[in-house]
Amino acid sequence: MAQRVTHIYFGAASALTALGDLDATLEGMAAGRSGLCYHASWGMFAGQIDPTHPEAQPATELTLFESRLVRQIERVCRVGGVDLGAKDTQLILSTTKGNIALLAAHTEELDERLFLDRTAERVQHYLGAARRPILISNACISGLSALVVARRLLLAGDCRTAVVAGGDLLTEFVTTGFTSFKSISAAPCRPYDAERDGLTLGEAFAAVVLTTEREAVAAPRYCLEGGAVTNDANHISGPSRTGDGLAYAMERAMREANVVADEVGMVNTHGTATLYNDEMESKALTLAALEGVPMNSLKGYIGHTLGAAGLVETILCLGQLEREEIFATQGFTTLGVPCAVNIAAEKRPLTQKRCLKSASGFGGCNAAVVVAAEELVKAPAEPSRCEAAVTATAAYTLPHEAIPFAELIRREFRALGDKNLKFYKMSDLAKAAYVASEYLLQGRDITTKYHPTEVAVVLANSAASLEADRAHQLIVDSRPEEGTSPAVFVYTLPNVATGEICIRHKIQGDNTFFIEEGSAFAERYARLLLERGDAKAVITGRLEKLDERWDITLKLLEIN
Amino acid sequence: MEKLILELKEHLIEELNLEDITPEDIDAEAPLFGDGLGLDSIDALEIILILEKNYGVRLANTAEAKPVFYSVKTLAEYVMANRQ
Repeated sequence: MAQRVTHIYFGAASALTALGDLDATLEGMAAGRSGLCYHASWGMFAGQIDPTHPEAQPATELTLFESRLVRQIERVCRVGGVDLGAKDTQLILSTTKGNIALLAAHTEELDERLFLDRTAERVQHYLGAARRPILISNACISGLSALVVARRLLLAGDCRTAVVAGGDLLTEFVTTGFTSFKSISAAPCRPYDAERDGLTLGEAFAAVVLTTEREAVAAPRYCLEGGAVTNDANHISGPSRTGDGLAYAMERAMREANVVADEVGMVNTHGTATLYNDEMESKALTLAALEGVPMNSLKGYIGHTLGAAGLVETILCLGQLEREEIFATQGFTTLGVPCAVNIAAEKRPLTQKRCLKSASGFGGCNAAVVVAAEELVKAPAEPSRCEAAVTATAAYTLPHEAIPFAELIRREFRALGDKNLKFYKMSDLAKAAYVASEYLLQGRDITTKYHPTEVAVVLANSAASLEADRAHQLIVDSRPEEGTSPAVFVYTLPNVATGEICIRHKIQGDNTFFIEEGSAFAERYARLLLERGDAKAVITGRLEKLDERWDITLKLLEIN
Repeated sequence: MEKLILELKEHLIEELNLEDITPEDIDAEAPLFGDGLGLDSIDALEIILILEKNYGVRLANTAEAKPVFYSVKTLAEYVMANRQ
C-alpha cells in the first residue's frame, strides 16, 4: 500500500496585479504603495494591470484572458520544473467571467469561446496538458475553492502535482454590474475603516504549484495545511448578518490543519470594504475565536480581483510568511466594524509563520485555507475516511416536453405548492436549480437528519451563467442612463443557483461549481467529499440551461 | 396622488416580478419591506432604478432611501416633491 500523503507543498508561484509581477507586488505592498488609481475609461478607481506589461500582452492564438492566464501557468511550470504533459499532473483553473469581454456588443450569436468549458479545452491544447483542466467558477471564492479542490485531490492520490491558476479581467461587464449594486467606492477602498463606502475593483492573474513531492520543492517550504468551503444559506448577494457561514469555513480549515486560533500568526481576510462584508467578517472572526489574531486586507493595494482574489492573495500571504511581515491594511485608520478585531494599520512583524486566508462571495459562499511554514506543520489528525458505501438515495430530472421552458418551470413550481415569491425573480438557471432540488429532496428530510454544514452541493455545467450574462450585457449595450439592473447582474455567476438551493434547504456545507461537459467530475468530487467525511449528504449533477435547451439532472448521494 | 400611487404599484409589480400580485393587493400605507411582498436589498436597488428611470428622481444609496421606501405612499410623496 502506498504511503499516506499528509503534506501538500507549495512550489513555484507567479502573479500579475496592478502593482506588477509577484516580486513587484510584494515590494509595493511592503513599501505601502497602492496600485489603485482613477481610470477615466471605467469612471472609477481601479486596480488595473498595466496593459504595456510584457506578461499582459495577448498571444496570437488566444484571447487576452487566456493569454494572461497561460503566461502565469507557463512561468510556474518553467520555474518549478513541472511537466503538464505528465499524467499525474492536474491543472486547476478558477475564474468568474473568463472570456466575457467577447460578449460586449455581440449578444446575438454566442461566440463559442464564451463557454467556459471551451476555455478549459483551449488552455489544455495550447499548453499540451495531458489531463483536461478542472475549471471552477465559484464567484469571488473561486481561487480559494481551486486550492481546496487541489488539496483534496492531492491527498486522495488523484494526482501528485497540481498547478492552480486563476484570473479575471476588468471589464465593462463587471464595472457596470458592481455599480448597479452601489458597491463601488468613490475613492480607493478603505477596508474596515469607519469611513469606508465600498469596494474598488481590480484585475489579477496568478498561478502556483502544489505537490506531494517534498524533494521537488526547495527550502524554505510552505504547506497548504487545510481548507474548507461553506455557505451562508441566507441571501444570494447580501453577506450573512451573523457571520456563521464564514466562521464555519475558518473553523473547518483550522481543524484540518489541526491547529487552534492561538497557533495562527495572521489572518488575511477578503476585506472588500463594503459596509456589510467587513461587518460580517468581524463577526465571523469573533465566532471563530480569531478576533485577537493580527489581520489585514490587501484590497487597498490591488483592488478586488474577483475570481483571482483568493489565489493571488494566498500567494501574497506566502510572501508575507517568507518576509515575516504582516503588510499594512492600506486605507485603514479607524475601526469601523462592530467587533474589535486586530487590524494591522501599519506593517507589523509576523511571529508565527502560519496564515489563515478567507474569502466570501455572491451565492452566499465562503472559503478559508490555512498555510504555514513546513516546520510548524503538525501531524494531521487521522483522517475520518468513511468506509461505508455511498448510495444515490434520490434522483430528479427536469422533463423535456413540447412546451417552452418558462411554462414548464412555472408549472413544476406551482405543482409544489410553494408560495415563495422570490422564485419569479430568479434567472432560469436558478429557477431550475430551485425546483429540481425541491423535488429531489421531497420526503428526504435532510434538514433534521443532518447539521447544515454536513450537506454539500456540487454541480456542473458547460455554459456557466451565460444566459444571465447575455441579459446583463444587453442592458449594458443599451447604455441606460439610470444604470444596469442588480436583479439581473446578481445571477451572472453559476453558483448563485447553488446559493438558491442552499437558502431553500438551509444547506451550509461545501458548495463548488465545476465547468465541464457532463457532470462526471462533479460527481467524483461529491463522492470524495463523502469518503473524506467532509459531508454526509451531497446534491450533485448537471445544471445546464441555455434558451430552449436544458439538462437539469440532480441526485442525492448519502453514506449508507 | 392616487394616480401616482397606482402607477408606482404597477411599476413595482412589473419591475420586481411580483407574480400574482395586483395593485389592490398592495396596501399603500403598509411597510413595503415587511413580510408581505418578500422584498429584499436587491429589490431596494431596483426601486432606486424605477424612480430614476420613470421620474428622474435620484437616490444615492439604500441608506438614504430607507425612510422614503417605507411604503408606496412615502415613495409617492418623495416623487411628488422631487420629480423633474
